[in-house]
Amino acid sequence: MTTTRPIATARMYRRCLGAHLRAALEYEADFWILVVASIMMQATGVIFLGAVFARIPTLAGWTLAEVVLIYSLVVIAEGVGSLCFEGTWYLPWMVNQGDLDYTLVRPYPVVLQTMSGAVGLNGVGNLLTGGLLMAWSLSRVDVDWSPLRIALAVALFLSAVLIKLSVTLASTSACFWVFGASFMLPTALHQVGELAKYPVSVYSAGIRVALTVVIPFAFVSFYPAAAVLGHGQDSWVGLLTPLVAGYCVVVAGAVFRRGLRRYESSGN
Amino acid sequence: MAARAYLCMVKVSARTVLTYRANFVLGLFAVFFQLLAMLYVWRLLLESGKDFGGYTWPQMKAYLLVAFVTSSLVSAYGDFRMAARIRDGLVSLDLVKPVTYQTARFAETVGRAALELAVTFAVAGSIALVTGGIPVPDLPQLLLFAVSIAAVVPLKFLVVYLSTLLCFWTQNYMGVAWARTSLVALLSGSLIPLVLLPSWLQTTAMLLPFASLTATPAAIYLGQATGGEALGLLLTQAGWVTVLWVAGRLVWRFAVRQLTVHGG
Amino acid sequence: MPAATMAVMPVIEARELTKVFRRPDKSEGLRGSLRHLVTRRYTTTSAVDHVSLSIEPGEAVAYVGPNGAGKSTTVKLLSGILVPTSGEVVVGGIVPHRDRIANARQVGVLFGQRTQLWWDLPVRESLALLRDMYGIGPADYRAQLARFDEVLELGELLPVTARKLSLGQRMRADLAAALLHRPGIVYLDEPTIGLDIAVKDRVRDFLRRLVADGTTLILTTHDLGDIEDVCRRIAIIDGGRIIYDGGLDGVKDTFARERCMHVRLTTDVDPQSVAALLPDAEVTPGGSPGEFTIRFDRFVLTAGQVIATASSLAEIDDLLIDEPAIEDVVRKVYSGELELEPAEDGVGAGVGA
Ligand SMILES: Nc1ncnc2c1ncn2[C@@H]1O[C@H](COP(=O)(O)OP(=O)(O)O)[C@@H](O)[C@H]1O
Ligand SMILES: [Mg+2]
Repeated sequence: MTTTRPIATARMYRRCLGAHLRAALEYEADFWILVVASIMMQATGVIFLGAVFARIPTLAGWTLAEVVLIYSLVVIAEGVGSLCFEGTWYLPWMVNQGDLDYTLVRPYPVVLQTMSGAVGLNGVGNLLTGGLLMAWSLSRVDVDWSPLRIALAVALFLSAVLIKLSVTLASTSACFWVFGASFMLPTALHQVGELAKYPVSVYSAGIRVALTVVIPFAFVSFYPAAAVLGHGQDSWVGLLTPLVAGYCVVVAGAVFRRGLRRYESSGN
Repeated sequence: MAARAYLCMVKVSARTVLTYRANFVLGLFAVFFQLLAMLYVWRLLLESGKDFGGYTWPQMKAYLLVAFVTSSLVSAYGDFRMAARIRDGLVSLDLVKPVTYQTARFAETVGRAALELAVTFAVAGSIALVTGGIPVPDLPQLLLFAVSIAAVVPLKFLVVYLSTLLCFWTQNYMGVAWARTSLVALLSGSLIPLVLLPSWLQTTAMLLPFASLTATPAAIYLGQATGGEALGLLLTQAGWVTVLWVAGRLVWRFAVRQLTVHGG
Repeated sequence: MPAATMAVMPVIEARELTKVFRRPDKSEGLRGSLRHLVTRRYTTTSAVDHVSLSIEPGEAVAYVGPNGAGKSTTVKLLSGILVPTSGEVVVGGIVPHRDRIANARQVGVLFGQRTQLWWDLPVRESLALLRDMYGIGPADYRAQLARFDEVLELGELLPVTARKLSLGQRMRADLAAALLHRPGIVYLDEPTIGLDIAVKDRVRDFLRRLVADGTTLILTTHDLGDIEDVCRRIAIIDGGRIIYDGGLDGVKDTFARERCMHVRLTTDVDPQSVAALLPDAEVTPGGSPGEFTIRFDRFVLTAGQVIATASSLAEIDDLLIDEPAIEDVVRKVYSGELELEPAEDGVGAGVGA
């Protein structure tokens, strides 16, 4: 019983997502526009890095291949978010419109119904670019790939994605406390997260601390990459990524649940 | 007669800009954090002593701030409303109004641009002060810069307008907007000074209208283009505005013909 | 609550249920938002105000009241969508807002104003998702679809994307979605709103069968026809308070007394002369000469008498008898104009609040 529950829950999630994916794929032109556009967005960042590293061997002690790994982690986390959890972004709109009503009378967790409620096809472009960048980077970096290190990399990178998703959920859940449809916090935070596309060591101490402990975006890319690459004496910090991820998931879930108690539907 | 109608639109749009403030602030936020990252990265890069197109740190700061201003202009999301009206067929209601559609949208853009300019210059100025100042050109050069910034408004409007017209053929404006944003960032020089790009990209950028959006005002501000050369750049801007304006009218006419053929 | 009515265990039990909404009291624009940040003033509305309801298994209760009375809010409290500000609610032994998943399995909810179908998916796809969420077996699912097809002609809607359904089609599909898992307790909030007569009849027919099968039903509606067809007990709410809870007959007898007829005569006739001929009715002149509105008690006069009197004065050009609106009763009940006798068939508790 206890073992089949999570599997059934996950299967149901895939069912919801799959239904939306099929609906989204009906407009083939849209699919291509979104995929091409998201690839172009990520490509500009890569071109920037290429232009910079054409003139300098390292940035704050990081080589191009290493920076690309950091960069690709953010791109992949965003891609997973768009493709599989895009509904999270619609939470403020749903709360404002009273659209959570029916999700509250179905026997499936509200948070999962919300998160699976939309598909962002741009995620496909992000995952393609991010995957290619990561593959390119990992083939270049100077790392001894023991099975243990591979397992470590997988664990850390999955945790990194979880952190990004949790921050998004927690920030969109803040809409339960704020009135008004034009709710800007999640998008604004997402922009802050873009800072993590570069080694956080380039920033001032204040920003570095903020990205580490206040909103742990540095654990989405910089610290796990450092740990896997064994880069610098502080690289052990990256081993904390799964702990940080666990903390973020718990906090995000709690914020959502507390918020849901305040849900007021809408008065037509 | 018509001129008064457009003037009225400018005023109304300037007054209603507050209804778009959420989107405006959001757009500003997006560009702001990119700016922040860029400022840190470039300070580090230039401290390394390597040559980056001859830019000094204060010059690069000035460049990034000019790029911040030009990227924030004409971003108050009138385009999303226009895209939605095209997609839902509501645009056919606009066809019967006694004003030129393109001019009307431009009038609205101008109304909002005033506030956008004020806010972005205030933000850019504060950042310049906080980070230890940037070089300021002499008065004649400053005037040329002002003209080049003024030209960015119609030019950027036309780039956005033309891409929004694509909605007559495609459903998804989001993707179109992203693609345009990326293209503009790369080829206007707002991502990185064009001289630092591979030469084929530089050439491409120079042959297209995008360089007039950021590279031109930046070059004039930094005094990289003075006198005749600066005037030449301004003329290029004017040329692109003319060409794209005509292109906009042509595409519109074509799109509308399609619309009426298919019965809206 | 008299002890005698507690013979059967109620399946829905609300005690002093209250929901207070708090909205920020801010004026328009940026100035208003800023001022709100400083002063933090709120306006509060008691949408549901100490409501007590006790409903037995298999009962069908009409829940009526004017717009904004608190009907939808009550349904949301009973179904666990909203957490009450105070008071208690127990449905089938479960506190709905505390144990939402268990509650979801026993109740079916429909809000006529909004759909639960996935907007971009075909109806069939939405139903299949619900089937999987509720864990309905394939045979049962097929049986249910067949049943819905029979009464609601669901079959033709299955391949259509929800976005493209007309209001009537949408409501039929939504009914199927709400009842797919055979809930024993059903809340329907205005399931016939905006429907044309044909669809309305079909929905009513469907609801009758539902009740006949032993489903406990709370039905919110503006339409007297729905109520008469389906329910025997009626609860009236206004301003968040229950003002009547009892048998339908008690309301109907009183309510059906007054009739209102609009008459247009071909020639101009003095209202006084009409009034003189109908001393027991109230005659008011209409918008143009020859038009009258005549109100009368149907136990004193018949419609035929009124028409005969009017046509004795001049030829009748046009005639309209107002459909008695439940909202009129509610308003009258509230202002004390109507005397309601407690129901005699014993379900309800009489005049509450
Ligand atoms: N989510 C909400 N937020 C604020 N006020 C609400 C909300 N829902 C309902 N109300 C208010 O509560 C009152 C009752 O609403 P409702 O239950 O929808 O009435 P009904 O369904 O009887 O028309 C109304 O005054 C309405 O404006
Ligand atoms: Mg209602």
